[in-house]
Amino acid sequence: MEKFITKENLNRLAAELAATCRVLAPVADCGTVTFRRFQPGMVMDLHSRMAAVSPKAATFPQTETLLVVKREIPEKKPEIIETLPEGKNVVIGCRPCGARGKLIFDPVYETDKIKDPYYLQRRKNTVFISLACDRPETTCFCHSVGSGPADPSGSDVLLTLVGEGYVARSVTPEGEEIMKMALFADAGDKGKEADAKNAKAREMMGEAHDYASAPAKLLARFDDMDFWLAQSAKCISCGACTYMCPTCYCFNITDDDLGLSSQRIRTWDNCMSHTFTLEGSGHNPRSTKAHRLKNRVGHKFSYYPDLHKGVIACCGCGRCIKQCPAGVDIRQIVNAAQEYAE
Amino acid sequence: MSQLDDLKTAIKSRLGDLECVIGWEQGYDPLHATPLFIRSEADLDRLIIGPLAVHNLATYLTGWKGKKVGVVVKGCDSKSVIELLNEKLINRDDVVIFGLCCDGVVSQRKIRAALPADPGFVESVEIGADSLKVTVAGQAATLRLDDVRADKCRVCDTPDALVSDFLIGKAHTPAPAPSLKCQDEFEAKSDAEKFAFWQETMGRCIRCYACRNACPMCVCRDYCIATSRDPLWVSQENLPSENMMFQMIHVSHLAGRCTECGECERACPVDIPLMLLRRYMNKQVRDVFQHEAGKALDQTPPLLTFKVEEERINERGW
Amino acid sequence: MPAQDVRELRIVGFLCNWCSYGGADTAGVGRFTQPTDLRIIRVPCSGRIDPLFIVRALMNGADGVLVSGCHPRDCHYAEGNFYARRRLEMLKRFLPITGIDERRFEYTWVSASEGQRWQHVVTEFTRRIHELGPAPSFNPKSDVDWNALAVQASQGQGCPCHGSIQA
Repeated sequence: MEKFITKENLNRLAAELAATCRVLAPVADCGTVTFRRFQPGMVMDLHSRMAAVSPKAATFPQTETLLVVKREIPEKKPEIIETLPEGKNVVIGCRPCGARGKLIFDPVYETDKIKDPYYLQRRKNTVFISLACDRPETTCFCHSVGSGPADPSGSDVLLTLVGEGYVARSVTPEGEEIMKMALFADAGDKGKEADAKNAKAREMMGEAHDYASAPAKLLARFDDMDFWLAQSAKCISCGACTYMCPTCYCFNITDDDLGLSSQRIRTWDNCMSHTFTLEGSGHNPRSTKAHRLKNRVGHKFSYYPDLHKGVIACCGCGRCIKQCPAGVDIRQIVNAAQEYAE
Repeated sequence: MSQLDDLKTAIKSRLGDLECVIGWEQGYDPLHATPLFIRSEADLDRLIIGPLAVHNLATYLTGWKGKKVGVVVKGCDSKSVIELLNEKLINRDDVVIFGLCCDGVVSQRKIRAALPADPGFVESVEIGADSLKVTVAGQAATLRLDDVRADKCRVCDTPDALVSDFLIGKAHTPAPAPSLKCQDEFEAKSDAEKFAFWQETMGRCIRCYACRNACPMCVCRDYCIATSRDPLWVSQENLPSENMMFQMIHVSHLAGRCTECGECERACPVDIPLMLLRRYMNKQVRDVFQHEAGKALDQTPPLLTFKVEEERINERGW
Repeated sequence: MPAQDVRELRIVGFLCNWCSYGGADTAGVGRFTQPTDLRIIRVPCSGRIDPLFIVRALMNGADGVLVSGCHPRDCHYAEGNFYARRRLEMLKRFLPITGIDERRFEYTWVSASEGQRWQHVVTEFTRRIHELGPAPSFNPKSDVDWNALAVQASQGQGCPCHGSIQA
């Protein structure tokens, strides 16, 4: 299905959906742009810049309550309440790379043996209305990881800015359902214009880098600590890259004691942190930032592709580069491994 | 010879005895610099200095403890080095300090606000004496350096490195502004407004600990109490209260030690104005103890010592 | 005064074992009337009190926090309260920037023999906290509160760096 929606109507769409769903949309947030729960009265900021954080919180919130334990009096047996996520979510205005992040989650959270009910429920109940990019940032490399500025995979509706509105194309039946709303008008011949824009955006990205040799080349550097010490020298071992990343799916589970009740929560974890692999004995197999950066890069460009049909666990959004306080560039590290002369 | 040439000559003269010298090079785009670890003369060619060289490289020093390294520091960064020395967190004999006389650095956030399009679309940058010519998404813009200078540079009274083995550049006569408008305006707000501001702002914090890890004085790093499970100071739950609690931990542990280098705020990926808290605490430290961290060698941080009679603390009579 | 007709508030007291805790005991033995809002945590010395104890208590919903130790120059461990005095003073001065009312935190010195002084301190502090009322929660309590904050955020209210790039 192809339709057209004006800018005003897109804001109206967000407001209308907010009545029945949890709508996440990029809003100007004190000089930056973040995804916030959209409320009528808010204005979306779709174009000034890509949101600093990725939209992954829609399907994988930073904190998720798994279960709550309640007891009325200390002597009584506690009551355990599982809390599966309820309700529908809609993400409006994320970029195709952000929407694609969850495609990296899927094979991990749903296998023949293991199914993660919390993730799957949200995944099923979340619709992504993405906006195609019209020009690449210096940190963008989606075209090198098998995607592009107007990649529909992972989205339910893909918007392309044309004049004072957007050409909307449905990608999934869920997307089509939303596009039946009256706010969408006939697209006429605007589709061609949209195609031209998308083609131009792709052209601006230039030639893609070939990561085909990356898995083997990174594995070859696995025991080369000198290589990783040099690559990680400027890393300060914070978690900005992982928390910003649309594809980072690691989590931690902790129990919070709240007096007579308690809750079991799942929170984002980050492999750049010392505690990520800290063992009960006090031993830590990844004791330095060099070990940890090796894991982060290796996981995305080598171990994951080896397990999952060669798919690189990176959507090329560039957030980890641009938001890194020290300017660590993951592209440069993979290149260095690929070009390494034995 | 230019300041950069002088610096390169100085580094070359010492590079042989050092594990590496920490400086800056061009980063992933023309608007960004990134730390450079110089191990050979070939690396030296990539060295840059100037308004884009924002990082406080003193942050890396404790990570090289036990090895002999060189570090390039601006005036503000040199205060962090002094504070690390004063607290015996690094050894003076193990560090060769290449001090700069600094003309100030930019705030990427201010550049972003001043440009006609997002700096992510930057194509080229020309650095002039008092301006930056930036081409972004096909549009050229000239930004006055004065307009995009980091806040810390506006109130800087130590542009020239306070401690160094080599001091490079022409000495300045600093003319700092007495205070920052944004700070004054925020402090003047009512408790309720400030409270709501932090509630709201801490709602966007993702607790990535970039502020902590970028801080040159946050030396616990992997052993920070914020990530300890026992005692449990901060829940893993990403609530405004827990995020704020971490900021309180940072500010408390930096009381009397913070050199106001602004790295926490610069590092924040979601642009939380963390320096509002740090500057305020530093002001209290100045008022009560007449102490400024990193201003002089051989000072003891005020909370690590005491006086039997405190001149500026009232005995709390009831 | 005693919270008879008012809802009892949550006041946390950190008391040094050697003086103020004894002072509270003396007040009890002397049968001095005291308000019942205070929950006392006994610590070995006011120097043991990390200012973050106080912050954590306030963030966890305490309506007031009272710290009491030995009078300066009278510490059981000679100098614990000298360090405490500096730390607690810095915390008290810092609180205003966070928007937490600094009157919700007080520190003072009461010796083991000062039962009457203890009664005065605890009565006055409780009265002050009751005047201030229950402390606002740092985490918005309901969806409505979250929404109000979210809309406020999208309009950049209360933010010092919004709108102007000039310092």
